[in-house]
Amino acid sequence: MAVEMARPLMDPAPERAKRGAFFFPMMFMGILSAAWFLARFMWGGTSVPKGVDMGMGIGLTVLMLLSIGPMLGARGKLNRGEDAGAIGNFAILMVVAILMIAGIISTWGAIPIGTGYGGIYDVTSGWIGLYFVGGLLGLLASFMKGKRVPERFRNERWVAHNVVSFWGELVLLWTAFFVVFYLL
Amino acid sequence: MATTGVQGRAVEGTGGGGEPFAWSMVLPLVRAGFMGFTGYFAAAWITAMIGHTVIVNPLPATVGYVVGLLAWLAGSGIWDGWIRRAFGGAEAPALTGVERYFRFSSDPKATAVRYVIFNVLAFFFAGLAAMAIRIELLTPDSTKWWLSEVHYNQTFGIHGLMMLLAVAASAIVGGMGYYLLPMMLGARTVIFPRLLGLSWWLLPPAAVAVFMSPLIGGFQTGWWGYPPLAQNSGSGIVFYTLGAATLLTSSLLGGINIIGTIVYMRAKGMSLGRIPMFLWGLFAAGTILIVEAPATFTGTLMDLSDMILGSHFYTGPTGHPLAYDDQFWWLFHPEVYVFVLPAFALWLEILPAAAQRPVFARNWGIAGILGITMIGAMVGVHHYFTAVSDERMPIFMTLTETISIPSGFVFLCALGTLWGGRLRLTSPALLCLMAMMNFLIGGLTGIFNADVPADLQLHNTYWVIGHFHYTILGSVIFSWLAGLYWWFPKVTGRLVNEFWAKFHAWWFFIFFNMTFLPMFILGIEGMNRRIAVYLPYLHPLNEFVSISSFFLGAGFLIPAANLFFSWRSGKKAPQNPWGSKSLEWHSPSPTPYIVFPEGSEVTVVGPNDNYAAGAPEPFVWAPTTAGK
Repeated sequence: MAVEMARPLMDPAPERAKRGAFFFPMMFMGILSAAWFLARFMWGGTSVPKGVDMGMGIGLTVLMLLSIGPMLGARGKLNRGEDAGAIGNFAILMVVAILMIAGIISTWGAIPIGTGYGGIYDVTSGWIGLYFVGGLLGLLASFMKGKRVPERFRNERWVAHNVVSFWGELVLLWTAFFVVFYLL
Repeated sequence: MATTGVQGRAVEGTGGGGEPFAWSMVLPLVRAGFMGFTGYFAAAWITAMIGHTVIVNPLPATVGYVVGLLAWLAGSGIWDGWIRRAFGGAEAPALTGVERYFRFSSDPKATAVRYVIFNVLAFFFAGLAAMAIRIELLTPDSTKWWLSEVHYNQTFGIHGLMMLLAVAASAIVGGMGYYLLPMMLGARTVIFPRLLGLSWWLLPPAAVAVFMSPLIGGFQTGWWGYPPLAQNSGSGIVFYTLGAATLLTSSLLGGINIIGTIVYMRAKGMSLGRIPMFLWGLFAAGTILIVEAPATFTGTLMDLSDMILGSHFYTGPTGHPLAYDDQFWWLFHPEVYVFVLPAFALWLEILPAAAQRPVFARNWGIAGILGITMIGAMVGVHHYFTAVSDERMPIFMTLTETISIPSGFVFLCALGTLWGGRLRLTSPALLCLMAMMNFLIGGLTGIFNADVPADLQLHNTYWVIGHFHYTILGSVIFSWLAGLYWWFPKVTGRLVNEFWAKFHAWWFFIFFNMTFLPMFILGIEGMNRRIAVYLPYLHPLNEFVSISSFFLGAGFLIPAANLFFSWRSGKKAPQNPWGSKSLEWHSPSPTPYIVFPEGSEVTVVGPNDNYAAGAPEPFVWAPTTAGK
């Protein structure tokens, strides 16, 4: 069985390319979310119905805005090569991700799914919830890699950078979600 | 064109594993299949038991599909080849031998070869469905002895979806594009090779689900999946929905790699004007997927939500069934350009080398490809002129007809390239010319579909069937074969048998036209599409079409046999049998595992289509110590 024992010749894209190209899946996610948000106006009417869990919506939004701190902290530490410190920030963001997933699930059913607003709310928030699951897995992967194989973490720092960028997009998307579904 | 000395020295010993094939190499594929089916049935049964229902209902089928898909992926080698190391676990060595074709691999060449195999198999089975359709239409009413109306509907739905998303969408982009993308750019691999590897492993479960959909009730909607019929036509529609969403995701992962690789991994000196034409076609396809897939993707998921979660997006008191049409065609008209633009670009890659002439008006060709990409985003409404307000009709009619202009650029580039050239009419060049002829007919007949007064008469008749088969089968599949023959020596190191390749090209061209040209007459005479029973006055022409189609279908055994026997025992190919100046021919044939190994680096110093006598070499190789 032929194996490639040398360093990965077949994976030579530089960090700049890996980080830059991550913009394209994020762009797709953004457009996809925009499609969901626009669908809210098609199916959800022109006003926010009574019964939405406004308190939870505000709470989750504040939580996400606060998470900008550890996110930017992680980015700065990665830029300075302080990987261990960045891993600590990842732990905080993982807790935020779990709270967000739990919070999103808790809002389901406030408006019945069979109604226009309830349907588009549940499906859109469920989709954003999947993004949070993806973010959580990305953070967990970087966290575990940083703890278990720090050298590999350092060699593939672009992965951690992309996870942080992904979190930044989550902040934007959730904020937009809150505005579209809770305020407009 | 010979490999330079620097590059020749560098590629020694990097051809990958040369060990013979052993059945044990197939084990990851078998494991994935076993885990996928087990996961599907286990999850579906558990969900059915919890919900006090049966496994063929939409919810158990959906849960089963999702779990089965994840189990299939886990079995394919993604766990040990990607996920485990991503979480800091043991790093599996990258397999470089034959075994990489049978498991998850980050080698884009292995992924591309798997795409070809998958496309051939999907084409075969979807082609069998086409044959079943034409048997049904041999007589005005064959429902007593062949397919019932319900089975007929299921058959054309499966045929359409599979031919479009499992063949046309990935035949050129996947099988050829992913193989050539890094090589043409002078890169060793794509930007996200593991994502590209994943893209292939999403295909088989989706195809199996769609083909198996009759087992849970099938679907009656054709490949459109239009509500509210979708919700009232059998649980198989969930396999349609999930299969389509999975196939779209696969295309998207490829699109991300195409764009990212072209933007960030071009060789030194490869300015935008020097990017090979074929890659411009891929770039257009990738752009369409990233920008336009979301609307259709959401529509598909909302349709699924209506079926399994109880929402009412398209049915019930808050439902807007026509919104689905908008969402569906938002991508699925431009999706045609995902199929066709790489085919256009492929002509402009093959014909210059065959004619030994530079691409005529190259920048206009690129403008044409990008123009179609942009205008194509805004024309989907012409698919349902019969269902929209009068105000929308002239807008979308005009936009649709405008597509002819950039399409004309591409055609004129190809014709200008041939003009005054010394065309070697090899089988790939012949197939390209045939594809151009077919697309011309498909394009010209499409103008009538875009024209509102004509379309209101021709809508959903066999005219439309004839039109889109000319553009997709007649253009994309002809071009696919051209590309397979053209790059066959690159992949296998052997030449295709030219006699049989040309013999089939003519067979294909003649029976293709005998099958689909009469469909325009059928349409004008009033034959509606998607009907199992038709009026007797349409019988003679239908009989002629059916018999022609059987010859057309049987003819595909010729290239299948030709490719297989050429691979096993064809003539050894020289490194660059066509005299092309494109970069991929600078590496040995068959391609070694590492195309451009460390130790050499390419710089682009000129256009890759300058075939004038004494023209300078477009690529310069230089030794490097740090790799690319």
